[in-house]
Amino acid sequence: MWSDRSSVVLSQACVIAFAAILLLVMIFAPALVSWLLDFSRADLRGTEAYFFVTIYGGSMPAILLLYSLFGLLRGLAAEEVFRQKNVEHLRRISWSCFGGSVICLLSTFYYMPWLAVAVAAGFMGLIVRVLKNVVERAVALQDEVDCTV
Amino acid sequence: MSIVINLDVMMARRKISSGELAERIGLSPANLSILKTGKAKAIRFSTLEAICRALECQPGDILEFRS
Repeated sequence: MWSDRSSVVLSQACVIAFAAILLLVMIFAPALVSWLLDFSRADLRGTEAYFFVTIYGGSMPAILLLYSLFGLLRGLAAEEVFRQKNVEHLRRISWSCFGGSVICLLSTFYYMPWLAVAVAAGFMGLIVRVLKNVVERAVALQDEVDCTV
Repeated sequence: MSIVINLDVMMARRKISSGELAERIGLSPANLSILKTGKAKAIRFSTLEAICRALECQPGDILEFRS
């Protein structure tokens, strides 16, 4: 039977799957970049190092994001929804998105399609930031309710 | 906060323990402790009424404003 608990478990599984994909991308980055350049952009030969900087640099906020996302889901599984710790997780997720966005934006000087990733990551960061503000307010209200006797 | 809870004073005057008061007013000892230590952010009228009834006092005997 499908339940809230199953949904959280599915989300956790998805986070683990994305972490595995990220790990594979980091391991096979040289092959992936080589394949991309061979397949479609032979004119970009010689810029492999830039691609590596973008991929490995962007992996750092991605790791932080996935770690925070997993922590957030662990909190939800433990029935701890409106807690300050979750606000911290959301703040880290938001800044990770903005960090990834900046890295991708800087990378547009050699490969313009990074702009699409930068805009998507920046927009996602904005959404999570608004969500963080909502949860932060909810935590304050919850705290007030908890301290009402 | 400038609102001070003088519950301890009234409890001492009426010679009533925390456990006994909590039981009389139907509040958990943990919540009564929050109230006594000034950590409470709000108090329900029903709680205040129960305390006043149990301690035979007025709300002003328990709550005090200090600027």
